[in-house]
Amino acid sequence: MAKEKDPNSWKYWQFFWRSWAIQASWNYERQMNMGFMYGIAPVLDNIYKNSEDGQLKKEAYQRHMIYYNCTPQTSAFVLGLSASMEEQYYEDQENFNPETITAVKTSLMGPLSGIGDSFFQGTIRVLAFGLGINLARDGSILGPILAMIISFVPSFVITYYGGKLGYTMGNKYLSRLYEEGLMDRVMYVCSIVGLMVIGSMIASLIELETPISFGETFVLQDVLDDLLPQMLSLAATFIMYWLIKKKVPMGWLLTICIVGGVVFNVLGILN
Amino acid sequence: MLVQSILLGLVGVFCALDSRLLGRLNFERPLIGSTLVGLVLGDLQTGLVVGASLELMSLGIVNIGAAAPPNMNMASIIAAAFAIFSNANAETALTIAVPISVLGQMLDIVLRTFLSNFSHRADTLIEQGQFAKARRIHIGWGTLLYGLSYFIPIGWGTLLYGLSYFIPIFMAIYFGTDLVQQLVDIIPDWLTDGLGVASKILPAFGFALLLNTMLTNRLVPYLLLGFLITAYSGLDVTGIALFACIVAFIMYEVKFSGNGGNGGNAEEADPLEDDL
Repeated sequence: MAKEKDPNSWKYWQFFWRSWAIQASWNYERQMNMGFMYGIAPVLDNIYKNSEDGQLKKEAYQRHMIYYNCTPQTSAFVLGLSASMEEQYYEDQENFNPETITAVKTSLMGPLSGIGDSFFQGTIRVLAFGLGINLARDGSILGPILAMIISFVPSFVITYYGGKLGYTMGNKYLSRLYEEGLMDRVMYVCSIVGLMVIGSMIASLIELETPISFGETFVLQDVLDDLLPQMLSLAATFIMYWLIKKKVPMGWLLTICIVGGVVFNVLGILN
Repeated sequence: MLVQSILLGLVGVFCALDSRLLGRLNFERPLIGSTLVGLVLGDLQTGLVVGASLELMSLGIVNIGAAAPPNMNMASIIAAAFAIFSNANAETALTIAVPISVLGQMLDIVLRTFLSNFSHRADTLIEQGQFAKARRIHIGWGTLLYGLSYFIPIGWGTLLYGLSYFIPIFMAIYFGTDLVQQLVDIIPDWLTDGLGVASKILPAFGFALLLNTMLTNRLVPYLLLGFLITAYSGLDVTGIALFACIVAFIMYEVKFSGNGGNGGNAEEADPLEDDL
């Protein structure tokens, strides 16, 4: 094994450990946003070392504070890819549209958490703990130990090599895309996928419903569902979007969400 | 009892931080939590048995997306401790576990709502160029809050048992479950339900922030397309993503292939388009 040491290997370990820590500040509003920022921070700090890059660094940090949610183990891949895109953006600021990074991130989170959650929480966990329960019931300590080992190995392998693959793949293909001027097209494609995924998440993850009804015959939610299922979730998103466009301060919006939730619930408008 | 309470609290913190710091390695599953309690209290067998039956019960509970499932981790630790202290069997431990898991679930909702504020704090810090501080909010405050949130109720659970140490076994269990139930009852319904609604509106805000950076008028139909397919057919996000790839492919063909016909999207046209 006389291989040369990869100068980027420190980054892979950063992706690895930080994608495990990605849920440390999981919150309802933007979910793993800070985790992602934390994950990519060492790379950003490395890129924007000089003091004259302060503004760019700030923008880069802000770029990674947006909504993000994905299985922790598969997040390493996204971290790796985003990191290599950030590096390329720094090299070629005229041609690289940084919104591409957001678009790529967004279009990846849906499929990767779909695969990741069903693999880790569906397949591996059920397998590991199914075995573990059997042994533990007979009073064998091997049960939990085996369950942990079966959970750990795939998790380790996929997190580490996922980060590495994302980073090297990004480096290899992204620069070619730029040289050939294909990035606008990639951006277009990624935006389509990303927005469709967000649309789907609005319909499947929010689930706002109204309990309003008059007598037995008129149940407002049923009427709404007949018109357009999950209409209220879409409406809530667009109202928030509109308020953001109106430059309503963030603190206000957050207060509106929490107080609004309680008030609408007390008034019997939403549940 | 004090030492054991503290130790169990720490076991709880460790298991709770599994999905926060250890990439969800399954330390938070009842089987592992109960076994660790058994190890700490020196009764491995009971820990294993309680863990196995709780695990069997919660095998179907999965942490996906924004859903806050009943907190079986907290439940399994307290239930195993009760079972060991009081020589109760696994079935009794199950009845203790259920109200605790609901209490833990509510605590999770409050905490996750509360952590949204820290996001905004981090936004401000980044704006001021204090990057290290912003990172510390994630790793420091996030970890601390999730850790503490487990420490306090587990402290309660074990402290509770400590108080009833000399009371006959069945009384201890009865009193234990009862107090947890009382705690659940103290919190008014309108507040828990209201926070539940808020926890649905907050993701809407998160999505809106994301759309703020991505959405242009031209791209609105794709957002709606994804929404409509899921809303009407219930197809999940992965399915939509696969569909989206095909839609994107078709739109790419329509937009970029052929004799330079860029569909009138002059402002989005690629300067090198004719070369390819």
